[in-house]
Amino acid sequence: MQLLRKIAVLAIGGAMAFSAPTMAQDDTVTIGVSIPAATHGWAGGLNWHASQAQARLQAQYDNIEIVLVTADGPAQQANDLEDLVSIHNIDALVVLPFESEPLTDPVRRVKESGVFVTVVDRGLSQDGIEDVYVAGNNPELGRVSGEYFLTRLGEGDNIVILRGIPTVIDDERFNAFIETIEGSGINVLDNKHANWNRDDGFEVMQDFLSRFPDIDGVWAQDDDIALGVIEAIRQADRVDEMFVVGGAGMKEVIQMVMQGSELIPVNVLYPPAMIATAMDVTVAHFTSNGPVTGEYILGAPLITPENAEQYYFPDSPF
Amino acid sequence: MAEAVAQAEGAILAASRISKSFGEVPVLFSVDFDIRAGEVHALIGENGAGKSTLIKILSGLEPPTSGTILLDGRPVRLPPNGEAEALGIVVIHQELNLAEHLTVAESIFLGREWTRWGFLRRADMRAEATRILGSLHVAIDPDARINTLSVADKQMVEIAKAISRDARVLIMDEPTAVLTPAETEYFFEQVGRLKAKGVAIVFISHKLDEVMTLSDRITVLRDGQLIATVETGDLTPDSIAEMMVGRELSNLYPPKHEPDVDAPLVLAVEGLTADGIRNVSFSLRKGEILGFAGLIGSGRTAVMEAIVGLEPRSAGTVTVNGKPVEFRSIGEAVRAGLVYMTKDRKGKGLLLNIGLQPNLTLLTLYRHMRGGFLVESSEVEAMERATRRFDIRARDASVRVGQLSGGNQQKLMLGKAMESDPEIIIIDEPTRGIDVGTKQQIYHIIAALAKEGKSIIVVSSEMQEVIGLSHRVVVMREGRKTGTLEGAEITEGEIMRYAAGLKGEKEDDDRASA
Amino acid sequence: MTVQAHEGVKPARKRLFAIDYHTMGPLLALIALCILGFALNSAFISEGNITNLLTRSAFIGIIAVGATFVITAGGIDLSVGSMAAVISGVMIIVMNSAIGAMGVGVHIVLIGCVASVLLGLAAGFLNGFMTTKGKIEAFIVTLGTMGIYRSLVTYFADGGTLSLAFDVRDVYRPVYYGNILGVPVPVLAFAIVAILGWVLLNRTAFGRYCMAIGSNETVARYSAIKVDRVRTLTYVIQGFCVSIATIIYVPRLGSASSSTGVLWELEAIAAVIIGGTMLKGGYGRIGGTVVGAIMLTTIGNILNLTDIISNYLNGAVQGVIIIAAVWLQRGNLANLNPFRRKPTA
Repeated sequence: MQLLRKIAVLAIGGAMAFSAPTMAQDDTVTIGVSIPAATHGWAGGLNWHASQAQARLQAQYDNIEIVLVTADGPAQQANDLEDLVSIHNIDALVVLPFESEPLTDPVRRVKESGVFVTVVDRGLSQDGIEDVYVAGNNPELGRVSGEYFLTRLGEGDNIVILRGIPTVIDDERFNAFIETIEGSGINVLDNKHANWNRDDGFEVMQDFLSRFPDIDGVWAQDDDIALGVIEAIRQADRVDEMFVVGGAGMKEVIQMVMQGSELIPVNVLYPPAMIATAMDVTVAHFTSNGPVTGEYILGAPLITPENAEQYYFPDSPF
Repeated sequence: MAEAVAQAEGAILAASRISKSFGEVPVLFSVDFDIRAGEVHALIGENGAGKSTLIKILSGLEPPTSGTILLDGRPVRLPPNGEAEALGIVVIHQELNLAEHLTVAESIFLGREWTRWGFLRRADMRAEATRILGSLHVAIDPDARINTLSVADKQMVEIAKAISRDARVLIMDEPTAVLTPAETEYFFEQVGRLKAKGVAIVFISHKLDEVMTLSDRITVLRDGQLIATVETGDLTPDSIAEMMVGRELSNLYPPKHEPDVDAPLVLAVEGLTADGIRNVSFSLRKGEILGFAGLIGSGRTAVMEAIVGLEPRSAGTVTVNGKPVEFRSIGEAVRAGLVYMTKDRKGKGLLLNIGLQPNLTLLTLYRHMRGGFLVESSEVEAMERATRRFDIRARDASVRVGQLSGGNQQKLMLGKAMESDPEIIIIDEPTRGIDVGTKQQIYHIIAALAKEGKSIIVVSSEMQEVIGLSHRVVVMREGRKTGTLEGAEITEGEIMRYAAGLKGEKEDDDRASA
Repeated sequence: MTVQAHEGVKPARKRLFAIDYHTMGPLLALIALCILGFALNSAFISEGNITNLLTRSAFIGIIAVGATFVITAGGIDLSVGSMAAVISGVMIIVMNSAIGAMGVGVHIVLIGCVASVLLGLAAGFLNGFMTTKGKIEAFIVTLGTMGIYRSLVTYFADGGTLSLAFDVRDVYRPVYYGNILGVPVPVLAFAIVAILGWVLLNRTAFGRYCMAIGSNETVARYSAIKVDRVRTLTYVIQGFCVSIATIIYVPRLGSASSSTGVLWELEAIAAVIIGGTMLKGGYGRIGGTVVGAIMLTTIGNILNLTDIISNYLNGAVQGVIIIAAVWLQRGNLANLNPFRRKPTA
């Protein structure tokens, strides 16, 4: 991720050197950015990084105009896309689809009107629509988490899993995790949806704690859930018994990892900053000489006390 | 049994030895009743005599506890939930069951719309509605919304609805209770037309003169028992009334006590002007009953609502016991010793879906509080007191007010008003929709209150009532006072002349402008 | 023998002993649910689980007690969830910024509580004022404020999460996690709020007025009741209840975000209706509301304690149980008559 950002910045820098004088004469390039509203922590981070990037890019280029819209649901996002094309006359679209299926067609229609399309995070259900695909790697997050569990636990150890909102993302992470730990003898006591929500994480974990006398590890899949889980474990006074692995790289959690917490020893990154990367790449398409296309799949590296510092953004809300 | 069947011969619908109990409370005892084609059969009796229950049984809304219903001479079990309409038995309830926002044509076909391929045949239905309304000789626009119609027209829509359902038996519960005299006459014409078509009509009313004019036979119920079924021609209003109450009813109105002309004025209204009324002046003495007569819509209710602060006034003064007042709410009027009883018992006067006791004390809860908390025993006591004083009859205290008869509701409202210990009592339509026995009771209560020294205003559209009760009568027309009658002047003819504008105090205006 | 003559009105004492489905329905449903829970997993009746359950139902329960007043008086408040979120957020901001000037201590928590109560009263008053004086339907007013409060908390948190400073958290923690004589503080608060609510609704003129207004506003006006004032007060009570719920919510996780209190308004309304209060107003039951709130939490708890039902069907199970509970409460069990008459032609 850091590496990719560097590449992008390099490309942009290079592009500026070549094209800045000519660009000034061209018409303004309007880029529409459509993302889900900040309804949970990770999406909040997404929004923060998107507006940071918007401010930065508009300050950097006189002829780049960025329109940022947020949607509360797939239907509203589809309307937003139509508005971006018909009202704002966008030249490029950066979109993080709420859900893959219902937005595939609306995005295709945007593409058909001649707009450069960058899709972020959630892939469309048809190939070949987008020009650029920037994504986190959901199965990778499950796999990396699973591998960490393999290093800590073995035959006969018990874990519980708190999943997110029932969606494709959740399934991909969950299935990859289960595949990874398969055959290790680690025993998954149960899995429940905690909806990437702190309160739900707290309540589901409370119930797991009353139900299972012996838990060695908790995979919370997301840092909001993980923070709720930690409070429940503290309340039950079973802190020494188990560890918790969240995911996504929330600053509070990374801080705890940095401090060498026993309860939450590591984290797996799934950075909301990917939206900024996607915006950088899209701008580069217009400011550099050559076209930009292809897939940019970000990794899901394991954050340990050793490397935590480089993933810590104290100003981000996430 | 044999005689019951014999009686039912030639009848479309008959009830034989019908009994009905609600729980352990019997309300009908072995009642026989029958109705023939082309006949108007009046069903009368005091409140609680069992009329409504009998109607419900005849229309299938309630099953009888024992006894038989005969339709065309054959025993039937009528389907519940008003499905008896399919058999030609249609009920028009006292509260007209029309959806206010539908059009006339939509209302007539409500529940049995004509469709083709699942779509409404709007034009056909509209044409049929026009035809039916035409056959009744009524000028109602089939596209008019129900809420724009007068009560009388709404009733016509109900009748049209009944005709469209090919009603063979039409049961009407107090159809004229809310009609003006002119509307009533018009309604009678329609009943005559239906009768000529061979429809059998069952008709409940408390207005004995109407019953005499309209019906062919009369059945009297009292306390759930059949008293008699008689040809109307064999009866006089007095004999009917006596059969209803089971005692002699010579004194419907109590004797008027002599008004004290020197008694102080408790209420003086000068030049009162508000929405719908102009320049109304009158005064009320201690211990006096002042009648307010006039046609419906002449502004009598508006005057009372402006006095007690329900409607803002734009000019004029109100003086209570010599002190000028301007009430901004009912609460202030009550504190000044003035209480107002609305004519709209069900819409404005009482909470129908709760019990009697909370209704009784709602206006005066402050009397039942100790340290901010309600004291239930105090409320129970008040209820017992009011029950005795006003002879309120209910199965038990858990009965909801909506289930009470109109007479008992009115008595409860009287109790509620009197809880505030008022000096001045304004009663708007004291006996609307109430049977003659309860009427008599209420008249005696009003007279007794006046004798105790309370001052009372009675607003009524029943001329007899105003005449029978009042010491003086104010007549209103189109928002103005047209006259005040006293003593021997108080006659039906004189009131009518003022109410219709043939006579009037034109100088009222001059005085105001002078 | 005459039917009704001179009987007068008999007192209704006998009713106390008859089975009243309207009162017992929700309780029966809850008991059935508990038996089911125990059958599925005996851990259900462990002391820890019961404590968790009651503690958890405290938030929705306290809010639902307020909602009982609003609904009884014929109103509705959709803004409570968002209101809880924004009050939590502002409480955290206030407490965090007060540390600088005053240092850590119980007084910081008290300042937070005062802020919470003031905000709750103000927000409730705003809802009430706009519905009564502004003559706008409560549904629209509170739908509006629901959106406003929700985006305010998102704005305050920059789309992320507001977190209480860790040293204050330690002082504040007992308000959620502590207990008095073995009873968890939130449960105690819930009980006190419910008892006060019951007294207010059933033993004061105010409660009677709420029922009268919900039953028929015109009759209430004609009975000298200050309709607007009473109605506004119900929203103020609702706001106060939200602030109490918030005060015990914040120490649980020490944070607030845009996802705090999502759908609490629907849960609160559901608890009220399950408990036997009528949605159209005129009739309220605090006891029922308490049972309703506990029942909603119990459903979630039982689903977490078992794995026989697919995770994806949790919502369906909840829906079925809620509908069944209200069906019971409406006394349908008593009306099931196998000898229904058939129409005859």
